[in-house]
Amino acid sequence: MTAMNPSSSTAAGQAMAWTCPFCCLLCDDLQVRMFAIPGALCLAGGECREAAEALAAWGDAGAPLSARPARIGASAATIADAVQAAAERLSQWRQPLFGGLGTDVAGARALYRLAARTGAICDHAAGRALMHGVRALQDRGAFTTTLIELRSRADLIVCAGTAPNGALPGLWRRLGRDGPGPADRRIVYLHADAPDGTQAKGIRQGPDLLADLQMLAAAVQRPPDALPAAAQGTPIAELATALRAARYAVFVWEAAALPAEPSDAGALVVETIHRIVNHLNLHTRAAMFGLGGADGALAVNHTFTWLAGVPLRSRIAADALQHDPWRFDAQRLIERGAVDGLLWISSFRADQPPPASDLPKIVLGPLAMAPAVDASAVFIPVATPGIDAPGHLFRTDSVVAVPLEPLFASELPGVDAVISRIHEAMT
Amino acid sequence: MTTLRISGGRVFDPANGVDGAVQDVTVRDGRIAAIDSRERVDEEIDASGCIVMAGGIDLHSHIGGGKVNLARLLLPELQRQQVLRSSAVELPSCGGCAPGTLATGYRYAEMGYTSAFEPAMVGANARQAHLEMGDVPILDHGAYVMLGNDELMLQWLAEGADPQQLRDYVGWTIHATKAMGVKVVNPAGISAFKFNQRKLDVDEPHVHWQITPRQVIAALARAVHELGLAHPLHIHASNLGAAGNIASTLATIAALDGLRGHLTHVQFHSYGTEGPKKFSSAALALAEAVNAHPNVSIDVGQILFGQTVTASGDTMRQHANAGYASPRKWVGADIEANAGCGVLPFRYREQSYVNALQWSIGLELFLLVNDPWRIVLTTDHPNGAPFTSYPHLIRLLMDKPFRDEQLARLHPEVAAQSALREIQRELTLSEIAIMTRAAPARLLGLADRGQLGVGAAADVAVYREQADAEAMFSSPLLVLKDGEPVVRQGRVIATPVGGVHFAQVEFDAAIEDRVARATHDHPLGVHRRYAVIGHDELCACCNRGRLLPSAFEAQAL
Repeated sequence: MTAMNPSSSTAAGQAMAWTCPFCCLLCDDLQVRMFAIPGALCLAGGECREAAEALAAWGDAGAPLSARPARIGASAATIADAVQAAAERLSQWRQPLFGGLGTDVAGARALYRLAARTGAICDHAAGRALMHGVRALQDRGAFTTTLIELRSRADLIVCAGTAPNGALPGLWRRLGRDGPGPADRRIVYLHADAPDGTQAKGIRQGPDLLADLQMLAAAVQRPPDALPAAAQGTPIAELATALRAARYAVFVWEAAALPAEPSDAGALVVETIHRIVNHLNLHTRAAMFGLGGADGALAVNHTFTWLAGVPLRSRIAADALQHDPWRFDAQRLIERGAVDGLLWISSFRADQPPPASDLPKIVLGPLAMAPAVDASAVFIPVATPGIDAPGHLFRTDSVVAVPLEPLFASELPGVDAVISRIHEAMT
Repeated sequence: MTTLRISGGRVFDPANGVDGAVQDVTVRDGRIAAIDSRERVDEEIDASGCIVMAGGIDLHSHIGGGKVNLARLLLPELQRQQVLRSSAVELPSCGGCAPGTLATGYRYAEMGYTSAFEPAMVGANARQAHLEMGDVPILDHGAYVMLGNDELMLQWLAEGADPQQLRDYVGWTIHATKAMGVKVVNPAGISAFKFNQRKLDVDEPHVHWQITPRQVIAALARAVHELGLAHPLHIHASNLGAAGNIASTLATIAALDGLRGHLTHVQFHSYGTEGPKKFSSAALALAEAVNAHPNVSIDVGQILFGQTVTASGDTMRQHANAGYASPRKWVGADIEANAGCGVLPFRYREQSYVNALQWSIGLELFLLVNDPWRIVLTTDHPNGAPFTSYPHLIRLLMDKPFRDEQLARLHPEVAAQSALREIQRELTLSEIAIMTRAAPARLLGLADRGQLGVGAAADVAVYREQADAEAMFSSPLLVLKDGEPVVRQGRVIATPVGGVHFAQVEFDAAIEDRVARATHDHPLGVHRRYAVIGHDELCACCNRGRLLPSAFEAQAL
């Protein structure tokens, strides 16, 4: 892949085609301008508020790097010295935790080797949201669809517990980008408010999303007149009828919008959606479409799964490879003092420093994260795939691995390079 | 310069007409070389009492891509039971029916295999397939891209597109996804399932596009032929697993109209409807058809008893069989107007009439097809059984008393009636070398693999000769990968990165614009500027492994 450096020396460079690494949709139809001075990035079109904000956070992206951009405790350091200090620190920990895991496939490959060397437990910053889908899949399976199928085929879309316009403004733009899809498409918001100004319908019948889905699961399994009298003619019963009549119904759910507590509530929602989809598939067609997995959650989960044979929330050790989606929750491990050191990776988000704790830390993040990292940590700045490094991430539907290209050449190493150098320094 | 001599072993190298002769195999810098017996070499291997073969080649094994990872995700309870002890050279990884990519490489090498090919790469998922295969250590790898359920091809067929346009489209897809071959799975059926069609026979029209599987097979076989690909169209025929599907399988052979085709996992496609259970072996009918059609090659997809997981692109058939899942859960997906997948765990039981008959049918096929150059040993890993059961399968094929012993343990009606009882044939070591090395190399156009002639890549397996073929093929004395010892005494000692095979074909580049226009600038799920995986990106995906392109010249029908 080639870096696409703007050659223009004017204040605002040419608009460059860009794939945005900042949300789970990985939109590849955006354009970016880089200002030569002071090197700031901005979205050329106004398509996505989230992408615009993430780019704005980059600040002086093109500014030259200081000779000592890293930190060992409170002292500025070269990256080489910080790598050495990180290796020393890591080799002293008896049970390291690798958290955050905001990186791409190449970073995950390097992290897996280092985890195997150190017996680390590995969980993503969004591990709790990620595990809703993983646990539901492990317990009951799934029937999923992808973005282009959804766009071209779905005549009934049920957004379950989410109005994705908020966090994922790109979704509807991309669904409508290449024509409207089926002319008779309907969108229903189940236990969520339909966005203002849309024709879409919002349904709330029970106390929470799970209750509504359970009623729906019961209703799709029988004809409307076989429902208990109290359930007949309700919005849920009408939705069940519409689902049975649809050619291709898709349930959209969003991992981050599901309840985090109790710990299995989110997985139960996904499982109930799956049950409805499975039933519909006996006679018509239906599928589920999950939203989530940004900041490398899907990429790292996929990579660990193919290397290890089990997904994240695993302890990767030479003597025992263990996987437990509940026990290896990073936040809980930190709170309970079950780990004695934290290697935190967040190459996409400067605003995602490690959670506060007394643990000794090694932190890899964008330069702009430095002020937010505790003064006791070893901090090593890293490049960001899609901004100043190449990489691969997985789109929300888990199928398409999207290549990312750098907007400009960087002096910063990628996560993969830093982790490999720490690994080498330990041996 | 590194040199090595393997001396005193009986060499089985059918591609060069060597059938058990005691002779040296010598290696210089990763290649088989002619080194005089008096010349000193860096390492002498005493292979007396051993047999020597080229490294094994698995031309149909699900080793990478989305559905394999779904299988791993789906089955933590099985994966946890299969954690392998790692070593100084092996990283932690689960074995079993859905092994991690790391364990996949280690365990294949430990059986003397040095290459494996992923047969069902989804175009929109090609990067993941290459990323995963790049994390399979030691083995060279490659993949066949699936076509014939992508809406674009079906639409173009329905519009009566010029065969040249279809050829260019197939060529461009191979180029974009860096594929080694082309596969069709349940032709048009995966797409039909998205339109709620539940069954599609070879001459039945797709409910939306009104084209038939026969048309899809004919068009793809022609495109593959005209592109000059070494590997024939790789065909997973219609009606997988259904009683009576021999009719579709024979119709599929007819649909080739004399062009080359490789019918895969034919065990799952050789079922009749005779007998009280309306489920019977049609192995003889298929073997006769294969014997009569020199344009057809097959691999078997043998089943072996125990727990496994079936991972297929055939959403239509996997959905139909979902009730048989064990444990009782499965994953299905509709993918990018391009493909589908279904992952269904399954336990083959000796006391099940159907499973016992499936076991018998697979073995009958191995033993009834005359030409070993057109039949390849596979279990369709993991669908019939994990690849780790190959040594057991080889013993079943080479050892009639052992085969009879196993047959006697099965469902009594199968044990009493199986055609296997009357089949006396025991495959020879040379035939095993053909079915596991020389034939797959030839069917893939790998001129320098699967054989031990001077100039060939030094992928070599040395096994201690013993009466128990299962023990023999389970634990080689030595395995070389491109001349480097990777296994000694049955244990992995080095884990070099394997290379990636892909085909370079000629096509009219103007097709790219046409594909982009027809897919709203998003062919294969990504923006058109990323539709083609370039060499540098392929190399990064494959962990800096060697790129092994094979160039093919277009040829007229």
